[in-house]
Amino acid sequence: MIYPLIIFISIAYSAWSFTHKPIDINILMPAPFADSTSTIVDQYNHENKGKVHINVTRGPLETEAVSDLAISSLLLGASPFDIILIDVTWLPKYAEAGWISSLDKYIDIEEWNSLISGAQDGNSYKGNIYRWPLVADMGLLYWRSDLMKEPPQTPNQLLEISRNLVQDNQVEYGYVWQGRQYEGLSCVFLEVLHAFGGEWLDDNNHVKLSSNESIEAAKWLRKLIKVGASPKAVTNFAETEALQVFESGQAAFMRNWPYAWSELQKDSSQVKGKVGLTLMVSEQGRPSASTLGSWGLSILQNSHNKKAAYQVIRYLTSQASQKKLFTDYGYTPTSEKLFDDVQLISKLSILPELKRALSVVQARPMTPLYAQISNVLQVELSSILTANKPAEDAMRLAKDKTKRIILSSGS
Amino acid sequence: MNIILLLPAIFLLCLVFFIPLLRYFWLSLHAYSVSTGLELIPNGGVNWLRLLEDDRFWITTFQTVRFACVSVSVEVVLAIFIALLLDQKFKGIGIARALTLLPWALPTTIMALCWRWIFNTPNGPIERLISLVSNEPLNILSDPHLAWLATVLADIWKTTPFIALILLAGLQTISKDLYEAFRLEGGGKLQAFFTITLPLLRPYLLISLMFRLAQSFGVFDLIQILTGGGPAGSTESVATYAYINAMRFLDFGYSSTIILGGFIVLLLLSLFAMVFYVYSRKIFISKL
Amino acid sequence: MIRNKFLLIILLLWSLCPFFWQVYTSFCSSESILSPLLNIDNRWTLQNYIQLFTSEPPFWRYLLNSTIVGTTSTVLTLIIALPASYALTRINKVFATGFKLFFFIAALFPYVLLFLSLLEIARALNIGNNLFALSLPYASLSLPLAILLLSAAFNDLPKDLEEAAKIEGLGLFQRLRWILIPLIAPATASTSIIIFLFSWNEYPIALTWISKPELITLPVAIARIAGSSVYSVPYGAYAAATVLGSLPLIIIVLLFQKQIIAGLTQGAVKG
Repeated sequence: MIYPLIIFISIAYSAWSFTHKPIDINILMPAPFADSTSTIVDQYNHENKGKVHINVTRGPLETEAVSDLAISSLLLGASPFDIILIDVTWLPKYAEAGWISSLDKYIDIEEWNSLISGAQDGNSYKGNIYRWPLVADMGLLYWRSDLMKEPPQTPNQLLEISRNLVQDNQVEYGYVWQGRQYEGLSCVFLEVLHAFGGEWLDDNNHVKLSSNESIEAAKWLRKLIKVGASPKAVTNFAETEALQVFESGQAAFMRNWPYAWSELQKDSSQVKGKVGLTLMVSEQGRPSASTLGSWGLSILQNSHNKKAAYQVIRYLTSQASQKKLFTDYGYTPTSEKLFDDVQLISKLSILPELKRALSVVQARPMTPLYAQISNVLQVELSSILTANKPAEDAMRLAKDKTKRIILSSGS
Repeated sequence: MNIILLLPAIFLLCLVFFIPLLRYFWLSLHAYSVSTGLELIPNGGVNWLRLLEDDRFWITTFQTVRFACVSVSVEVVLAIFIALLLDQKFKGIGIARALTLLPWALPTTIMALCWRWIFNTPNGPIERLISLVSNEPLNILSDPHLAWLATVLADIWKTTPFIALILLAGLQTISKDLYEAFRLEGGGKLQAFFTITLPLLRPYLLISLMFRLAQSFGVFDLIQILTGGGPAGSTESVATYAYINAMRFLDFGYSSTIILGGFIVLLLLSLFAMVFYVYSRKIFISKL
Repeated sequence: MIRNKFLLIILLLWSLCPFFWQVYTSFCSSESILSPLLNIDNRWTLQNYIQLFTSEPPFWRYLLNSTIVGTTSTVLTLIIALPASYALTRINKVFATGFKLFFFIAALFPYVLLFLSLLEIARALNIGNNLFALSLPYASLSLPLAILLLSAAFNDLPKDLEEAAKIEGLGLFQRLRWILIPLIAPATASTSIIIFLFSWNEYPIALTWISKPELITLPVAIARIAGSSVYSVPYGAYAAATVLGSLPLIIIVLLFQKQIIAGLTQGAVKG
């Protein structure tokens, strides 16, 4: 008599809990993004109590470590995540490996078109959209408005001003950038490469790294260190080291991403109110180029709740969230409309400059082989900068190796 | 009956040693990467041809062998002195031995982080000391020549105690009477070291040399955390190169080829070392 | 003698200095790390430690994970290695030598090179993200050394002892359980500690087998630690993490120094 009752109760209970158990959406984000989105996530969880619950996994700090973590979880199969916040350069690789699913069937094309064009780049592979951008991101040149009236326009001016300021002992270091052998070096180089009119891969996937322009670009980076316009230590700098030096007032220029702005405006910053930002320098008559960074949210192929996941993505990337992330953390918005928002501009005057930079973004090669060809370039650039390898030899080697990688993959 | 007791061990060892090596061989004959959509496609020996032509593999192998040889030989010489130093009897020697062993007991990742901070430019202690006497920082981790020495130094710090303790064990098997007899015959301390200590330590030296050479050929944690393989690829090892090929480039076929290639190099080197050892022993014996 | 003591002190300084530097850094505030001669008020802080324990998951979780993996790996290794080492001393000499050679080569093998295949095994058997499963490769990799050490110990036991037990009518299992294994307890203790240290410290396999943040082991956690300010290099947090991560090992080494040294010594003599 008692058993049927128990069975009934337990069935009823499980049915009840089945319908009422909130859907869990697990997101993997690098630590900085997990921290900055936490209030938005809390708000979502509050609004959708009992229906959908977001769990954010705080990944490591360094981009490469996040990528290692994401990849090993995907390779192990049965990845615990529904959504991964991915860097623009991972997208082709993940898409080709079949790990992330196309968002095409969820996307409202009008909403998509409301994104500023620089933010639309880097989200598609082979004609499908795989990622919704969380932040727009591009390389910028930070300069000290107390040391000069106008920022330099050409590579040569940048070099001369830095060298003079160092020689006059106005600053300890002139121009700081990312020179360590890692992805940041490729980003720096891409900008210089375009500033001199060169290209990494052309439209037909021909490698252009040994062109005169590209050798000139590499030589310019080398010259910065040689003449003392950049410290030798820059060859072991990543973004954080560059920012640390610039923030303490020891440098005149810095190449970095937009997030650095809000960091530089904090009270602990020695250069608060003495910083300007502008587009990267370029040779006369050539357009500036700004490397397209940007992180975006992708849904994993093996997620069981893709639809809910997409709604979560759209919530995190809504205009309200963008405004909050921009004003609190300096993350560049992605909606075109926000760039003309008078209220936002009055809060942060750099918005028009960011828009200008977004209009000249250059994407790194969108190929699943990107990590490989970028690594080849980094090693060769690093040997130009640290081991005195002649730029001609190094860039020719980089070209040959890149070619071989593309050939041996058969694509 | 007894052999049954061995079976689980044999089974597990096959699972983690033989099957992986066979699997690597199988993978090395296939294109298996993100470009093939993570499918296995036979491609003959293309991976192996690519390995032969890949100067980065050869540079990396050279660097790994150099790292292993330099660090292990310094370690052994230092370890002999440390072992002699620890081979004394007084109060507190146990604690001293334990403290000396500490670097070996710590995870490599922890101590690699320690060293990264020590070698830091401009805030690490070494650069600060340098800045007292010179305006030009050393830039240890951004100079290809210094960076690999930094990895060697960190490795010496970590593993010398291990060798020292093995040698200490060897020292303790040598009877003190031998030294006494030698002294009575008028031999000096230094002579005693070369005629008694060193020859009797030979087996222990051999064991620690073999073990350490093989292990340091697989150096991975230290490199990945201390330098990440840079600058200019100057500290990359076979293991880190194989790792980035697999986990960052998603090229498992080629990564397997690199691993097997490295393994073959290691085998050849061991064979060479063995022949050298046997040969040197023959000369040694024929001289007696 | 004085000279020896002096050299010994230098040796200890060399071994411990990097560690002292970490301890010092771990108590420094982030400003004072960057400018060593800053005013003294801001110099000392517990912030780095507080941050480690309030982060998600808290730092002790990694210590716990490593302890779990270390313990299960050690137990598993002993369960397999003890009978195997016994068998090795009781079988035909020629076979035994062959097996020993095989174990010896396996012990020398730079296991890092196995990471890719082991990852595939984890995927094929679907045992990734499981601390107990992680002890499987750890135990397998520790087996060769463990068997060599333990069989050396079994070899030292007098044969008559077992014969006497046999006559008493004790079966193989009983002989092992009640007579032989207790007699080699010292060797077992040393072997266990060495295996435990290996499993506690292992990095590449843990890196590829575990991707859930609450399950990662200490070495991986250390390599991935994130700092207080996301936009500056978190040297203070790194230092605090290395100090906390080292403490258990320092205690183990000080407590078990005799066994560890005996274990290494045994390995050298008999191997």
